[in-house]
Amino acid sequence: MNLIRVTRAERFFGISFIVALSLFWIFPVIVTIKNSLQVDGLNNYVYIFTHKIAGLSIFRSFFNSLIVAVGDTTIILVVGTLAAFAFSKMVFIGRQKIYSIILMCLAIPAIVAVIPFFFILKKLHLYNTLGAVIIAEVAMTVPFAVLMMRNFFDNIPDELMESALIDGATKFQTFRRIYLPLSVPALINLGVLCIMWSFQDYLFPTMFLTNGSLTTATMAVNSFQGAFSFNPIDQGRFYASLVVLGMPAFIIFLFAQRYIANGITSGALKD
Amino acid sequence: MNPSIPVDSGKTIPIKSRQARKWKENVTAYLFIAPLLSIFAVFILYSLYFLIHTSFQNTDISFGKATDAGTNNYRLVLEDSHFYFSVLNNLIFSAGNIFISITIGFIVTVFLSLKFRGSRFFHALFFIPAMLPGALIATVFSMILEYRFGAWNEFLRALGLDFLAKQWLSDPHLAYMSVIVIGVYLIGFPMMYYSADLTTVNTSVLEAAVLDGAGLNRIMWNIVFPLLKNAHKTIIISTLLSSFREFERIYLMTGGGPAQSTEISSIYLFNYFRGAGANIGYVSAASTLLLIIALAISFIQLRMYVKGKKERKSAA
Repeated sequence: MNLIRVTRAERFFGISFIVALSLFWIFPVIVTIKNSLQVDGLNNYVYIFTHKIAGLSIFRSFFNSLIVAVGDTTIILVVGTLAAFAFSKMVFIGRQKIYSIILMCLAIPAIVAVIPFFFILKKLHLYNTLGAVIIAEVAMTVPFAVLMMRNFFDNIPDELMESALIDGATKFQTFRRIYLPLSVPALINLGVLCIMWSFQDYLFPTMFLTNGSLTTATMAVNSFQGAFSFNPIDQGRFYASLVVLGMPAFIIFLFAQRYIANGITSGALKD
Repeated sequence: MNPSIPVDSGKTIPIKSRQARKWKENVTAYLFIAPLLSIFAVFILYSLYFLIHTSFQNTDISFGKATDAGTNNYRLVLEDSHFYFSVLNNLIFSAGNIFISITIGFIVTVFLSLKFRGSRFFHALFFIPAMLPGALIATVFSMILEYRFGAWNEFLRALGLDFLAKQWLSDPHLAYMSVIVIGVYLIGFPMMYYSADLTTVNTSVLEAAVLDGAGLNRIMWNIVFPLLKNAHKTIIISTLLSSFREFERIYLMTGGGPAQSTEISSIYLFNYFRGAGANIGYVSAASTLLLIIALAISFIQLRMYVKGKKERKSAA
Protein backbone atom coordinates (compact mmCIF):
# COMPACT_ATOMS: atom_id res chain seq x y z
CA MET A 1 0.00 0.00 0.00
CA ASN A 2 1.23 3.45 -0.73
CA LEU A 3 1.92 5.62 2.22
CA ILE A 4 1.06 8.89 0.56
CA ARG A 5 -1.91 9.19 -1.77
CA VAL A 6 -1.26 11.52 -4.66
CA THR A 7 -2.97 12.72 -7.81
CA ARG A 8 -1.82 11.44 -11.18
CA ALA A 9 -0.10 14.71 -12.00
CA GLU A 10 1.85 14.64 -8.75
CA ARG A 11 2.78 11.04 -9.32
CA PHE A 12 3.99 11.87 -12.79
CA PHE A 13 6.05 14.74 -11.38
CA GLY A 14 7.61 12.51 -8.73
CA ILE A 15 8.57 9.82 -11.20
CA SER A 16 10.00 12.35 -13.65
CA PHE A 17 12.11 13.85 -10.90
CA ILE A 18 13.52 10.43 -9.99
CA VAL A 19 14.23 9.53 -13.59
CA ALA A 20 15.89 12.87 -14.31
CA LEU A 21 18.04 12.69 -11.18
CA SER A 22 19.01 9.11 -11.92
CA LEU A 23 20.76 10.27 -15.10
CA PHE A 24 23.49 11.71 -12.87
CA TRP A 25 23.94 8.27 -11.35
CA ILE A 26 23.85 6.45 -14.65
CA PHE A 27 26.38 8.80 -16.27
CA PRO A 28 29.47 7.69 -14.30
CA VAL A 29 28.41 4.04 -14.62
CA ILE A 30 28.14 4.30 -18.39
CA VAL A 31 31.40 6.22 -18.66
CA THR A 32 33.26 3.64 -16.58
CA ILE A 33 31.87 0.65 -18.44
CA LYS A 34 32.32 2.26 -21.84
CA ASN A 35 35.94 3.18 -21.08
CA SER A 36 36.60 -0.27 -19.70
CA LEU A 37 35.79 -1.67 -23.15
CA GLN A 38 37.86 0.80 -25.14
CA VAL A 39 40.37 -0.48 -27.73
CA ASP A 40 40.33 -4.12 -26.74
CA GLY A 41 36.74 -4.77 -25.69
CA LEU A 42 36.19 -7.59 -23.25
CA ASN A 43 39.83 -8.58 -23.61
CA ASN A 44 40.58 -5.81 -21.10
CA TYR A 45 38.77 -7.90 -18.52
CA VAL A 46 40.57 -11.04 -19.59
CA TYR A 47 43.85 -9.15 -19.24
CA ILE A 48 43.31 -7.99 -15.67
CA PHE A 49 42.31 -11.48 -14.56
CA THR A 50 45.26 -13.17 -16.24
CA HIS A 51 48.07 -10.69 -15.58
CA LYS A 52 49.72 -9.38 -12.49
CA ILE A 53 49.22 -5.65 -12.09
CA ALA A 54 51.77 -3.74 -10.02
CA GLY A 55 53.18 -7.16 -9.15
CA LEU A 56 49.87 -8.43 -7.84
CA SER A 57 47.05 -10.52 -9.23
CA ILE A 58 43.59 -9.08 -8.72
CA PHE A 59 42.50 -12.33 -7.06
CA ARG A 60 45.21 -11.89 -4.48
CA SER A 61 43.95 -8.41 -3.60
CA PHE A 62 40.40 -9.77 -3.18
CA PHE A 63 41.75 -12.58 -1.08
CA ASN A 64 43.63 -10.13 1.15
CA SER A 65 40.49 -8.05 1.55
CA LEU A 66 38.51 -11.16 2.37
CA ILE A 67 40.93 -12.21 5.10
CA VAL A 68 40.85 -8.75 6.62
CA ALA A 69 37.04 -8.59 6.44
CA VAL A 70 36.51 -12.03 7.94
CA GLY A 71 39.08 -11.54 10.69
CA ASP A 72 37.77 -8.09 11.56
CA THR A 73 34.12 -9.20 11.56
CA THR A 74 34.71 -12.32 13.66
CA ILE A 75 36.56 -10.45 16.38
CA ILE A 76 34.04 -7.61 16.42
CA LEU A 77 31.09 -10.00 16.70
CA VAL A 78 32.62 -11.93 19.60
CA VAL A 79 33.99 -8.99 21.56
CA GLY A 80 31.06 -6.67 20.85
CA THR A 81 28.33 -9.18 21.67
CA LEU A 82 29.90 -10.31 24.94
CA ALA A 83 30.32 -6.73 26.12
CA ALA A 84 26.88 -5.64 24.92
CA PHE A 85 25.29 -8.49 26.86
CA ALA A 86 26.99 -7.38 30.06
CA PHE A 87 26.02 -3.73 29.51
CA SER A 88 22.42 -4.69 28.85
CA LYS A 89 21.67 -7.52 31.26
CA MET A 90 24.09 -7.35 34.17
CA VAL A 91 24.54 -4.95 37.04
CA PHE A 92 28.10 -4.00 37.84
CA ILE A 93 30.14 -1.12 39.16
CA GLY A 94 30.91 1.51 36.53
CA ARG A 95 28.50 0.10 33.96
CA GLN A 96 27.06 3.39 32.73
CA LYS A 97 30.40 5.22 32.87
CA ILE A 98 32.28 2.59 30.87
CA TYR A 99 29.45 2.39 28.36
CA SER A 100 29.46 6.16 27.83
CA ILE A 101 33.22 6.19 27.34
CA ILE A 102 32.98 3.38 24.78
CA LEU A 103 30.27 5.31 22.91
CA MET A 104 32.47 8.41 22.84
CA CYS A 105 35.04 6.34 20.95
CA LEU A 106 32.65 6.31 17.98
CA ALA A 107 33.77 9.87 17.36
CA ILE A 108 37.50 9.21 17.13
CA PRO A 109 38.66 10.18 13.63
CA ALA A 110 40.66 7.34 12.09
CA ILE A 111 43.41 9.72 10.98
CA VAL A 112 44.10 10.66 14.59
CA ALA A 113 44.66 7.00 15.41
CA VAL A 114 47.17 6.45 12.61
CA ILE A 115 50.33 7.61 14.39
CA PRO A 116 49.74 5.91 17.75
CA PHE A 117 48.51 2.74 16.02
CA PHE A 118 51.61 2.79 13.83
CA PHE A 119 53.74 2.83 16.95
CA ILE A 120 51.70 0.18 18.80
CA LEU A 121 51.54 -2.17 15.82
CA LYS A 122 55.30 -1.94 15.36
CA LYS A 123 55.77 -2.81 19.02
CA LEU A 124 53.41 -5.78 18.63
CA HIS A 125 55.33 -6.88 15.49
CA LEU A 126 52.09 -6.67 13.52
CA TYR A 127 53.13 -3.81 11.25
CA ASN A 128 53.02 -4.87 7.60
CA THR A 129 50.78 -7.86 8.26
CA LEU A 130 47.07 -8.19 7.52
CA GLY A 131 46.66 -8.59 11.28
CA ALA A 132 47.59 -4.92 11.71
CA VAL A 133 44.68 -3.81 9.53
CA ILE A 134 42.33 -6.26 11.23
CA ILE A 135 43.08 -5.13 14.75
CA ALA A 136 43.07 -1.43 13.81
CA GLU A 137 39.66 -1.79 12.18
CA VAL A 138 38.38 -3.74 15.17
CA ALA A 139 39.47 -0.97 17.54
CA MET A 140 37.61 1.65 15.48
CA THR A 141 34.44 -0.38 14.79
CA VAL A 142 33.83 -2.31 18.01
CA PRO A 143 32.13 0.65 19.77
CA PHE A 144 29.42 0.59 17.10
CA ALA A 145 28.98 -3.14 17.65
CA VAL A 146 28.55 -2.61 21.37
CA LEU A 147 26.01 0.15 20.77
CA MET A 148 24.01 -1.84 18.27
CA MET A 149 23.98 -5.12 20.17
CA ARG A 150 23.15 -3.39 23.44
CA ASN A 151 20.14 -1.76 21.81
CA PHE A 152 19.17 -5.21 20.61
CA PHE A 153 19.58 -6.95 24.00
CA ASP A 154 17.70 -4.12 25.71
CA ASN A 155 14.66 -5.14 23.68
CA ILE A 156 14.78 -8.77 24.85
CA PRO A 157 12.92 -9.11 28.15
CA ASP A 158 15.00 -9.59 31.33
CA GLU A 159 12.55 -12.27 32.49
CA LEU A 160 14.31 -14.82 30.28
CA MET A 161 17.47 -14.20 32.26
CA GLU A 162 15.75 -14.43 35.63
CA SER A 163 13.96 -17.66 34.88
CA ALA A 164 17.14 -19.24 33.55
CA LEU A 165 19.02 -18.20 36.68
CA ILE A 166 16.34 -19.70 38.90
CA ASP A 167 16.70 -22.92 36.95
CA GLY A 168 20.34 -22.89 38.00
CA ALA A 169 21.99 -21.71 34.81
CA THR A 170 25.10 -19.57 35.05
CA LYS A 171 25.25 -16.13 33.40
CA PHE A 172 27.39 -17.48 30.61
CA GLN A 173 25.08 -20.42 29.99
CA THR A 174 22.13 -18.02 29.84
CA PHE A 175 24.01 -15.93 27.31
CA ARG A 176 25.16 -18.90 25.29
CA ARG A 177 21.93 -20.93 25.25
CA ILE A 178 19.21 -18.29 25.36
CA TYR A 179 20.32 -14.83 24.29
CA LEU A 180 22.86 -15.77 21.64
CA PRO A 181 20.43 -17.88 19.55
CA LEU A 182 17.86 -15.08 19.80
CA SER A 183 20.37 -12.52 18.57
CA VAL A 184 21.32 -14.30 15.34
CA PRO A 185 19.37 -11.85 13.13
CA ALA A 186 21.10 -8.88 14.77
CA LEU A 187 24.46 -10.60 14.44
CA ILE A 188 23.88 -11.06 10.72
CA ASN A 189 23.01 -7.37 10.34
CA LEU A 190 26.12 -6.39 12.24
CA GLY A 191 28.32 -8.86 10.39
CA VAL A 192 27.25 -7.59 6.99
CA LEU A 193 27.93 -4.00 8.05
CA CYS A 194 31.39 -4.90 9.34
CA ILE A 195 32.27 -6.68 6.11
CA MET A 196 31.10 -3.70 4.09
CA TRP A 197 33.05 -1.19 6.19
CA SER A 198 36.12 -3.34 6.05
CA PHE A 199 35.94 -3.49 2.26
CA GLN A 200 35.58 0.29 2.16
CA ASP A 201 38.53 0.99 4.42
CA TYR A 202 41.35 2.74 2.63
CA LEU A 203 43.35 4.58 5.27
CA PHE A 204 44.49 1.73 7.51
CA PRO A 205 45.62 -0.65 4.74
CA THR A 206 47.45 2.24 3.06
CA MET A 207 49.22 3.21 6.26
CA PHE A 208 49.99 -0.20 7.75
CA LEU A 209 50.78 -2.31 4.66
CA THR A 210 53.82 -1.45 2.57
CA ASN A 211 54.40 -4.96 1.24
CA GLY A 212 52.87 -5.07 -2.25
CA SER A 213 51.67 -8.65 -1.93
CA LEU A 214 49.40 -7.60 0.96
CA THR A 215 47.54 -4.96 -1.06
CA THR A 216 43.78 -5.05 -0.42
CA ALA A 217 41.16 -4.53 -3.12
CA THR A 218 40.46 -0.96 -2.01
CA MET A 219 44.16 -0.07 -2.01
CA ALA A 220 44.43 -1.67 -5.43
CA VAL A 221 42.22 1.06 -6.88
CA ASN A 222 45.08 3.43 -6.23
CA SER A 223 48.09 1.18 -6.83
CA PHE A 224 46.68 0.00 -10.17
CA GLN A 225 46.31 3.60 -11.27
CA GLY A 226 50.03 4.06 -10.86
CA ALA A 227 50.77 0.81 -12.67
CA PHE A 228 48.94 1.69 -15.88
CA SER A 229 50.24 4.28 -18.31
CA PHE A 230 48.13 6.87 -20.11
CA ASN A 231 47.87 5.08 -23.42
CA PRO A 232 44.30 4.09 -24.37
CA ILE A 233 44.83 0.33 -23.99
CA ASP A 234 46.16 0.68 -20.47
CA GLN A 235 43.43 3.14 -19.56
CA GLY A 236 40.84 0.67 -20.82
CA ARG A 237 42.37 -2.00 -18.63
CA PHE A 238 42.44 0.34 -15.66
CA TYR A 239 38.74 1.11 -16.03
CA ALA A 240 38.06 -2.61 -16.34
CA SER A 241 39.90 -3.20 -13.09
CA LEU A 242 37.78 -0.48 -11.42
CA VAL A 243 34.60 -2.24 -12.55
CA VAL A 244 35.89 -5.52 -11.14
CA LEU A 245 37.05 -3.93 -7.87
CA GLY A 246 33.56 -2.48 -7.42
CA MET A 247 31.89 -5.87 -7.82
CA PRO A 248 32.02 -6.96 -4.13
CA ALA A 249 29.86 -3.97 -3.21
CA PHE A 250 27.26 -5.03 -5.79
CA ILE A 251 27.33 -8.58 -4.56
CA ILE A 252 26.91 -7.49 -0.94
CA PHE A 253 24.09 -5.21 -2.03
CA LEU A 254 22.27 -7.96 -3.92
CA PHE A 255 22.43 -10.44 -1.09
CA ALA A 256 22.47 -8.31 2.00
CA GLN A 257 20.80 -4.95 1.39
CA ARG A 258 18.12 -5.74 3.95
CA TYR A 259 20.66 -6.55 6.66
CA ILE A 260 22.53 -3.31 6.13
CA ALA A 261 19.36 -1.26 6.42
CA ASN A 262 18.34 -3.12 9.58
CA GLY A 263 21.78 -2.87 11.12
CA ILE A 264 22.34 0.81 10.50
CA THR A 265 18.93 1.91 11.67
CA SER A 266 18.93 -0.25 14.80
CA GLY A 267 22.32 1.08 15.81
CA ALA A 268 21.26 4.67 15.32
CA LEU A 269 21.17 6.95 18.31
CA LYS A 270 17.49 7.69 18.22
CA ASP A 271 15.97 9.81 20.92
CA MET B 1 17.33 -9.11 42.90
CA ASN B 2 14.58 -10.56 45.02
CA PRO B 3 16.13 -11.38 48.42
CA SER B 4 13.69 -14.14 49.32
CA ILE B 5 14.06 -16.48 46.38
CA PRO B 6 13.70 -19.96 47.89
CA VAL B 7 16.68 -22.18 47.15
CA ASP B 8 16.27 -25.95 46.72
CA SER B 9 16.00 -26.63 50.42
CA GLY B 10 13.32 -23.98 50.75
CA LYS B 11 15.49 -21.65 52.88
CA THR B 12 15.85 -18.00 51.92
CA ILE B 13 19.27 -16.70 50.95
CA PRO B 14 21.06 -15.09 53.89
CA ILE B 15 22.38 -11.53 53.56
CA LYS B 16 26.00 -12.57 53.51
CA SER B 17 25.63 -14.77 50.47
CA ARG B 18 23.62 -12.04 48.77
CA GLN B 19 26.67 -9.82 49.01
CA ALA B 20 28.78 -12.66 47.75
CA ARG B 21 26.46 -13.00 44.79
CA LYS B 22 26.64 -9.31 44.05
CA TRP B 23 30.41 -9.60 44.11
CA LYS B 24 30.22 -12.61 41.83
CA GLU B 25 27.95 -10.78 39.39
CA ASN B 26 30.50 -7.98 39.19
CA VAL B 27 33.29 -10.43 38.44
CA THR B 28 31.24 -12.23 35.80
CA ALA B 29 30.24 -8.95 34.15
CA TYR B 30 33.85 -7.82 33.99
CA LEU B 31 34.78 -11.14 32.41
CA PHE B 32 32.21 -10.41 29.70
CA ILE B 33 33.64 -6.99 28.99
CA ALA B 34 37.27 -8.00 29.48
CA PRO B 35 38.03 -8.51 25.75
CA LEU B 36 36.53 -5.11 24.97
CA LEU B 37 38.44 -3.46 27.80
CA SER B 38 41.74 -4.97 26.72
CA ILE B 39 41.33 -3.70 23.15
CA PHE B 40 40.27 -0.37 24.61
CA ALA B 41 43.28 -0.21 26.92
CA VAL B 42 45.86 -1.16 24.32
CA PHE B 43 44.52 0.79 21.38
CA ILE B 44 42.53 3.70 22.74
CA LEU B 45 43.90 4.54 26.18
CA TYR B 46 47.49 3.91 25.21
CA SER B 47 46.99 5.86 21.96
CA LEU B 48 45.69 8.79 23.95
CA TYR B 49 48.66 8.65 26.29
CA PHE B 50 51.00 8.31 23.32
CA LEU B 51 49.50 11.25 21.43
CA ILE B 52 49.57 13.56 24.43
CA HIS B 53 53.06 12.44 25.43
CA THR B 54 54.45 12.86 21.90
CA SER B 55 52.73 16.20 21.42
CA PHE B 56 55.12 17.73 23.98
CA GLN B 57 58.18 16.42 22.12
CA ASN B 58 60.06 17.01 18.92
CA THR B 59 60.59 13.66 17.23
CA ASP B 60 60.43 11.96 13.86
CA ILE B 61 58.61 8.80 12.77
CA SER B 62 61.38 6.50 14.01
CA PHE B 63 60.66 7.92 17.51
CA GLY B 64 64.42 7.86 18.06
CA LYS B 65 65.86 11.12 19.34
CA ALA B 66 62.99 12.84 21.07
CA THR B 67 63.67 16.21 22.61
CA ASP B 68 61.39 18.08 24.96
CA ALA B 69 59.32 20.68 23.17
CA GLY B 70 57.19 22.01 25.98
CA THR B 71 54.00 23.50 24.63
CA ASN B 72 55.78 24.69 21.53
CA ASN B 73 53.99 22.24 19.19
CA TYR B 74 50.59 23.40 20.38
CA ARG B 75 51.61 27.01 19.91
CA LEU B 76 52.72 26.25 16.35
CA VAL B 77 49.47 24.44 15.51
CA LEU B 78 47.36 27.23 16.94
CA GLU B 79 49.37 29.78 14.98
CA ASP B 80 48.92 27.89 11.71
CA SER B 81 45.98 29.37 9.84
CA HIS B 82 45.78 26.21 7.70
CA PHE B 83 44.82 24.20 10.77
CA TYR B 84 41.78 26.41 11.46
CA PHE B 85 41.02 26.44 7.79
CA SER B 86 41.01 22.64 7.60
CA VAL B 87 38.65 22.34 10.58
CA LEU B 88 36.42 25.00 9.04
CA ASN B 89 36.47 23.06 5.77
CA ASN B 90 35.33 19.99 7.69
CA LEU B 91 32.38 21.89 9.04
CA ILE B 92 31.52 23.40 5.66
CA PHE B 93 31.79 20.05 3.92
CA SER B 94 29.60 18.38 6.50
CA ALA B 95 27.11 21.26 6.23
CA GLY B 96 27.06 20.59 2.48
CA ASN B 97 26.55 16.89 3.04
CA ILE B 98 23.81 17.49 5.59
CA PHE B 99 22.03 19.90 3.25
CA ILE B 100 22.17 17.36 0.41
CA SER B 101 20.95 14.57 2.70
CA ILE B 102 17.94 16.38 4.11
CA THR B 103 16.85 17.84 0.79
CA ILE B 104 17.70 15.42 -2.02
CA GLY B 105 17.91 12.38 0.25
CA PHE B 106 14.51 13.20 1.71
CA ILE B 107 12.84 14.00 -1.63
CA VAL B 108 14.17 10.85 -3.25
CA THR B 109 12.96 8.71 -0.34
CA VAL B 110 9.45 10.17 -0.46
CA PHE B 111 9.17 9.91 -4.24
CA LEU B 112 10.47 6.34 -4.22
CA SER B 113 7.85 5.49 -1.58
CA LEU B 114 5.22 6.22 -4.25
CA LYS B 115 6.12 2.74 -5.54
CA PHE B 116 6.02 2.81 -9.30
CA ARG B 117 7.29 0.38 -11.88
CA GLY B 118 11.05 0.34 -11.65
CA SER B 119 11.19 2.09 -8.27
CA ARG B 120 13.23 -0.79 -6.87
CA PHE B 121 15.77 -0.35 -9.63
CA PHE B 122 16.08 3.34 -8.86
CA HIS B 123 16.38 2.61 -5.18
CA ALA B 124 19.29 0.30 -5.90
CA LEU B 125 20.87 2.84 -8.23
CA PHE B 126 20.76 5.63 -5.64
CA PHE B 127 21.83 3.35 -2.84
CA ILE B 128 24.77 1.37 -4.24
CA PRO B 129 27.37 4.18 -4.26
CA ALA B 130 27.11 4.35 -0.47
CA MET B 131 28.33 0.76 -0.38
CA LEU B 132 31.20 1.19 -2.80
CA PRO B 133 34.62 2.00 -1.38
CA GLY B 134 35.02 5.77 -1.24
CA ALA B 135 38.39 5.32 -2.90
CA LEU B 136 36.72 3.85 -5.97
CA ILE B 137 34.16 6.65 -6.30
CA ALA B 138 36.83 9.30 -5.81
CA THR B 139 39.11 7.73 -8.41
CA VAL B 140 36.33 7.46 -10.99
CA PHE B 141 35.29 11.07 -10.46
CA SER B 142 38.83 12.36 -10.48
CA MET B 143 39.04 10.97 -14.01
CA ILE B 144 35.55 12.01 -15.09
CA LEU B 145 36.07 15.59 -13.93
CA GLU B 146 39.52 15.95 -15.49
CA TYR B 147 39.66 19.09 -17.59
CA ARG B 148 40.86 18.02 -21.02
CA PHE B 149 39.90 14.38 -21.44
CA GLY B 150 37.43 13.95 -18.61
CA ALA B 151 34.10 12.45 -19.67
CA TRP B 152 32.02 15.21 -18.10
CA ASN B 153 33.67 17.99 -20.08
CA GLU B 154 33.63 15.87 -23.24
CA PHE B 155 29.91 15.37 -22.69
CA LEU B 156 29.35 19.11 -22.25
CA ARG B 157 31.41 19.89 -25.37
CA ALA B 158 29.47 17.32 -27.35
CA LEU B 159 26.29 19.17 -26.37
CA GLY B 160 27.88 22.39 -27.60
CA LEU B 161 28.12 23.74 -24.06
CA ASP B 162 31.86 24.40 -24.27
CA PHE B 163 31.61 27.42 -21.98
CA LEU B 164 30.44 25.10 -19.17
CA ALA B 165 33.46 22.81 -19.46
CA LYS B 166 35.49 23.99 -16.50
CA GLN B 167 38.54 22.94 -14.52
CA TRP B 168 36.36 21.19 -11.98
CA LEU B 169 39.13 19.94 -9.74
CA SER B 170 42.00 22.31 -10.44
CA ASP B 171 40.30 25.69 -10.08
CA PRO B 172 40.34 26.42 -6.32
CA HIS B 173 36.76 27.78 -6.21
CA LEU B 174 35.27 25.03 -8.34
CA ALA B 175 37.23 22.22 -6.66
CA TYR B 176 35.64 23.20 -3.38
CA MET B 177 32.19 22.94 -4.87
CA SER B 178 32.95 19.77 -6.84
CA VAL B 179 34.02 17.73 -3.83
CA ILE B 180 30.91 18.86 -1.93
CA VAL B 181 28.56 18.04 -4.81
CA ILE B 182 30.03 14.55 -5.16
CA GLY B 183 28.47 14.02 -1.71
CA VAL B 184 25.19 13.66 -3.63
CA TYR B 185 26.26 10.16 -4.54
CA LEU B 186 26.29 9.18 -0.89
CA ILE B 187 22.60 9.74 -0.15
CA GLY B 188 22.20 5.98 0.40
CA PHE B 189 22.49 6.13 4.17
CA PRO B 190 20.17 9.11 4.69
CA MET B 191 17.67 7.34 2.43
CA MET B 192 17.90 4.33 4.69
CA TYR B 193 17.20 6.33 7.84
CA TYR B 194 14.35 8.18 6.17
CA SER B 195 12.65 5.10 4.80
CA ALA B 196 12.95 3.34 8.17
CA ASP B 197 11.44 6.36 9.88
CA LEU B 198 8.79 6.77 7.18
CA THR B 199 7.29 3.38 8.04
CA THR B 200 6.57 4.64 11.57
CA VAL B 201 4.51 7.59 10.32
CA ASN B 202 0.86 7.28 11.28
CA THR B 203 -1.06 6.87 8.01
CA SER B 204 -4.25 8.36 9.44
CA VAL B 205 -2.48 11.71 9.75
CA LEU B 206 -1.65 11.58 6.06
CA GLU B 207 -5.15 10.47 5.12
CA ALA B 208 -6.64 13.34 7.06
CA ALA B 209 -4.33 15.72 5.22
CA VAL B 210 -5.42 14.31 1.86
CA LEU B 211 -9.08 14.70 2.84
CA ASP B 212 -8.37 18.29 3.79
CA GLY B 213 -7.11 18.81 0.26
CA ALA B 214 -3.36 19.02 0.88
CA GLY B 215 -1.25 18.27 -2.20
CA LEU B 216 1.93 16.22 -2.36
CA ASN B 217 4.07 19.30 -1.88
CA ARG B 218 2.28 20.39 1.30
CA ILE B 219 2.13 16.85 2.69
CA MET B 220 5.80 16.33 2.05
CA TRP B 221 7.18 19.50 3.56
CA ASN B 222 4.56 20.45 6.15
CA ILE B 223 3.61 17.03 7.48
CA VAL B 224 6.09 14.30 6.62
CA PHE B 225 9.24 16.39 6.95
CA PRO B 226 8.60 17.49 10.56
CA LEU B 227 7.44 13.98 11.48
CA LEU B 228 10.82 12.52 10.49
CA LYS B 229 12.52 14.53 13.24
CA ASN B 230 14.41 11.48 14.54
CA ALA B 231 15.87 10.65 11.17
CA HIS B 232 16.96 14.27 10.65
CA LYS B 233 18.73 14.29 14.01
CA THR B 234 20.49 10.99 13.37
CA ILE B 235 21.57 12.09 9.91
CA ILE B 236 22.87 15.45 11.05
CA ILE B 237 24.92 14.05 13.93
CA SER B 238 26.30 11.08 12.05
CA THR B 239 27.22 13.21 9.04
CA LEU B 240 28.95 15.72 11.25
CA LEU B 241 30.98 13.05 12.99
CA SER B 242 31.76 11.11 9.83
CA SER B 243 33.12 14.26 8.20
CA PHE B 244 36.02 14.05 10.68
CA ARG B 245 36.53 10.48 9.53
CA GLU B 246 36.36 11.38 5.86
CA PHE B 247 39.63 11.03 4.02
CA GLU B 248 39.81 9.27 0.68
CA ARG B 249 37.06 11.17 -1.12
CA ILE B 250 39.14 14.32 -0.98
CA TYR B 251 42.58 12.73 -0.88
CA LEU B 252 42.04 10.91 -4.16
CA MET B 253 40.13 13.68 -5.91
CA THR B 254 42.20 16.75 -5.10
CA GLY B 255 44.76 15.70 -2.49
CA GLY B 256 43.57 18.73 -0.52
CA GLY B 257 44.54 21.08 -3.31
CA PRO B 258 44.55 23.19 -5.36
CA ALA B 259 46.36 25.57 -3.02
CA GLN B 260 45.05 23.68 0.01
CA SER B 261 41.54 24.91 -0.76
CA THR B 262 39.86 21.53 -0.20
CA GLU B 263 42.04 20.51 2.71
CA ILE B 264 39.97 18.98 5.51
CA SER B 265 41.56 18.16 8.84
CA SER B 266 42.36 14.54 7.98
CA ILE B 267 44.19 15.65 4.82
CA TYR B 268 45.97 18.38 6.77
CA LEU B 269 47.32 15.79 9.19
CA PHE B 270 48.11 13.27 6.48
CA ASN B 271 49.99 15.70 4.25
CA TYR B 272 52.02 16.96 7.16
CA PHE B 273 52.72 13.43 8.35
CA ARG B 274 53.81 12.32 4.88
CA GLY B 275 56.15 15.28 4.46
CA ALA B 276 59.84 14.40 4.65
CA GLY B 277 61.28 14.58 8.16
CA ALA B 278 57.96 15.66 9.58
CA ASN B 279 57.91 16.54 13.24
CA ILE B 280 55.63 13.85 14.69
CA GLY B 281 55.31 15.96 17.82
CA TYR B 282 53.59 18.63 15.77
CA VAL B 283 51.26 16.10 14.11
CA SER B 284 50.44 14.66 17.53
CA ALA B 285 49.58 18.10 18.90
CA ALA B 286 47.32 18.78 15.92
CA SER B 287 45.77 15.30 16.30
CA THR B 288 45.09 15.91 19.97
CA LEU B 289 43.32 19.17 19.22
CA LEU B 290 41.28 17.54 16.47
CA LEU B 291 40.35 14.70 18.79
CA ILE B 292 39.13 17.18 21.40
CA ILE B 293 36.87 18.83 18.81
CA ALA B 294 35.43 15.49 17.64
CA LEU B 295 34.90 14.28 21.21
CA ALA B 296 33.18 17.53 22.13
CA ILE B 297 30.66 17.01 19.31
CA SER B 298 30.19 13.40 20.39
CA PHE B 299 29.69 14.49 24.01
CA ILE B 300 26.90 16.87 23.00
CA GLN B 301 25.31 14.06 21.00
CA LEU B 302 25.51 11.70 23.97
CA ARG B 303 23.86 14.27 26.23
CA MET B 304 21.05 14.68 23.72
CA TYR B 305 20.66 10.92 23.59
CA VAL B 306 20.53 10.43 27.35
CA LYS B 307 18.15 13.38 27.74
CA GLY B 308 15.90 12.03 25.00
CA LYS B 309 15.83 8.64 26.66
CA LYS B 310 14.80 10.16 30.00
CA GLU B 311 12.04 12.20 28.38
CA ARG B 312 10.74 9.14 26.64
CA LYS B 313 10.73 7.19 29.89
CA SER B 314 8.85 9.89 31.79
CA ALA B 315 6.34 10.16 28.95
CA ALA B 316 5.68 6.43 29.02
